[in-house]
Amino acid sequence: MLLPAAAPAGLELSSLLSRPGGTGPGAEIGEEKMVRRAGLLVGTILVGLAWGAAGAAAQERGTEGLPSEAVLEVTEEHTTAVLPEMGPHWVFVLDPVFPHLIAAKVYILDGDSLRYLGMLNTGYVPNMAISPDHRTIYSAETYYSRGTRGKRTDIVAYYDARTLEPVAETVLPEGRFLVVPKKPNLALTPDGRYLLSYNMAPGTSVSVVDVVARRYVTDIEVPGCGLVFPTGNTSFSMLCPDGSFVHVRFDSAGNAEVRPGAPFFDPEEDPVFEHGVVSHRDRRAFFVSYEGLVYEAEVSDAGLRIAGKWSLLGEEDRAENWRPGGWQLLAYHAASDRLFVLMHRGGKWTHKQAGEEVWVFDANSHERVARVPLEHHAISVSVSQDDAPLLFTLSEEASLSVFDATSFEPRGTVEGLGDSPFLLYVADE
Amino acid sequence: MTFDAVLDRVAERMSRAAAQRTSRRSLLARLGATLVGATLLPLLPVDRSGRLKRARAEEFAKTAQTTDPTQCNYWRYCAADGYMCSCCGGGPSTCPPGSHPSPSSWVGTCINPDDGQAYLIAYRDCCGKDSCGQCACLSTEGEMPVYRPQLNNDIVWCFGAPNMVYHCSSAALIGKA
Repeated sequence: MLLPAAAPAGLELSSLLSRPGGTGPGAEIGEEKMVRRAGLLVGTILVGLAWGAAGAAAQERGTEGLPSEAVLEVTEEHTTAVLPEMGPHWVFVLDPVFPHLIAAKVYILDGDSLRYLGMLNTGYVPNMAISPDHRTIYSAETYYSRGTRGKRTDIVAYYDARTLEPVAETVLPEGRFLVVPKKPNLALTPDGRYLLSYNMAPGTSVSVVDVVARRYVTDIEVPGCGLVFPTGNTSFSMLCPDGSFVHVRFDSAGNAEVRPGAPFFDPEEDPVFEHGVVSHRDRRAFFVSYEGLVYEAEVSDAGLRIAGKWSLLGEEDRAENWRPGGWQLLAYHAASDRLFVLMHRGGKWTHKQAGEEVWVFDANSHERVARVPLEHHAISVSVSQDDAPLLFTLSEEASLSVFDATSFEPRGTVEGLGDSPFLLYVADE
Repeated sequence: MTFDAVLDRVAERMSRAAAQRTSRRSLLARLGATLVGATLLPLLPVDRSGRLKRARAEEFAKTAQTTDPTQCNYWRYCAADGYMCSCCGGGPSTCPPGSHPSPSSWVGTCINPDDGQAYLIAYRDCCGKDSCGQCACLSTEGEMPVYRPQLNNDIVWCFGAPNMVYHCSSAALIGKA
C-alpha cells in the first residue's frame, strides 16, 4: 500500500512511527523494529482512513454546484473483470513457455484493439479447444503433484470463457501425448460433444471425453498412427507412418471400429505436415507436404477421403527455392475458400524455418491470390472465421502481427507476447 | 539505455532465441515404439545407420570438433536436438545431478573427425526436472512429423524414466558403427 505523498493536516504521522511503546535505548533492536513495523501499519491504516474522510469533506466543499458527472468518485470497489461474449477477432495464443515447460499459458487478445483480454495457466505442454457455443475453453493439461515430480495427473480442464475460471475437470486416466504443442493433438467433434485427445504412452490411442456430460469415455487404441482429425460427430481420422489415414468410428459407450486407408503420400520423400486443417463448415480438409504439395480431402463420417492434389509452387517459385515451413503453417478461411500458407526460401529439411511471407490461395482454382510479406517472420498463422476476417501471424521473437485478411493491410503488431508462443486459435475453426 | 537494460535485453533475446530454436528436444524415438507399448521397455537401441544417414553424418562431421561438448558442433551431436546436458551439469553420457536417463534411446551414427571412424551414439533424454535451458542445439535434417515418432524431435521422450519432465539431451557413445 502506498502512503499519500502529503498527509492531511491534523495527522501526525511522525508521532505514530516514532512511538516506541516504552522501548528504551537499551532495548533489543529486533523488538524495536517489530514495534516500529506495527506502528507503521497502524499509521498506514489511520492515514488511509483520515485521507478518505478528509477527501470526502473537501469534495463536498469544493463540488457544490457542479454537475454530478463532473465529480470523481474517491473510493472504489476492487473488482475482477468479466469478459464479454467471445468475439470473432479474439485470438488465443498458446505458449509452452520454454524453458519453463511446466508452466504453460494461453494469452487471449483482441485482434482489433491488440489488447490483452486475459490469460490461462495450462500446465505442461497443453492443447486447447473452444466450444462451438463459445462459452467454454477446454484445455488438456498435465501436472505433477510437486511441480516436476510426484504423482502425474492428466486432465481436461473446463474454463468459463467469460470469467476464465476453471469450473470443472475430467481426468484422462491413460495420459496424453507429451510433445511441443501441436494443434491436431486435441480436437472437438463438430457438434461439440466429444473432445478427442491423442495419446502416446508410447502405445498410441485416442482418449474420448464427453464434455457435455464431463465424463471420460474410453481410450481407442489405434496402433502406430498419430494426431486426431475429427470427421463427424462420432468419427475421426489419423495420419499413419505409411502415408495413409486410418479412420475410426465410435459410439457413446466407447465401442470403436478402426478402418485403415490407402497410402496417399510418400512418407520418406515428402511427408505432409502435422498441421493440416479440417473445415466442418465446408466438409473439406487440406494437408500440405514438405515439398509444397496440397492434398485436399472430403470430410464425412466415413473419414477423410483424398479428393485432389496440387502444388503451391510454380516453376519460378521452385527456382527461387520457396517452400512451406514453420509450425502451425496452414490456415483456411471457410467463407472465402482461401488457404493461407507460411512460405520461406530454403533447402530440403528447412521445414521448421519461419515464413518470410504468407501466400494466399483460392482453394478452388488453386491460384495464388496474394503474397503477404512479413516484417516479423512467422512460425504460425491463423485467420478469423467471420466475414471481415483478420490474419494473425506469430513470430519467433514472440510477436503477434495482425493483418486485414482481405486487403492484407497490416493492422499492428504486439511485441513481447509471452516467452515462446507456438500456437494460435480462433473461434469457429 | 543503461548497462543493466542492455544486459536484460540481451538475456531476453538469448532466452527467446533458445526457446524458439528448441522446438523440442531430442527424441528420437526408437523404431517400433508406438507398436510395442510401454511394457516392453526398455527396448534395445536400434541402429538406423544407412547410406543416407552416413551421408548426413559426413556433412555434419565437416565442421564438427571433438573437444568441447558444450558446443552444438560437438561431433556426437550430429542428430541431437534439445538442451545439451553438457551445459547443464552433466556430460555427453551423464545426466545432471538429480535427473535420470530415459532407458529408451534412439541410436544415431556420427563420425569422429579425428579418426574418421563412425560410432554409434545413443541419444538419451535426462528427465525429472524442468528444462535446463542451456545450449539449445537443433538439427532438423531428416526430421519427420510426429506420426513417424522415431524420427521426430518434438516429442518428450522420457518413457521409462521416473517421470516425463524433460530436462536435457545427452549423447552417449555405445560402440563402433
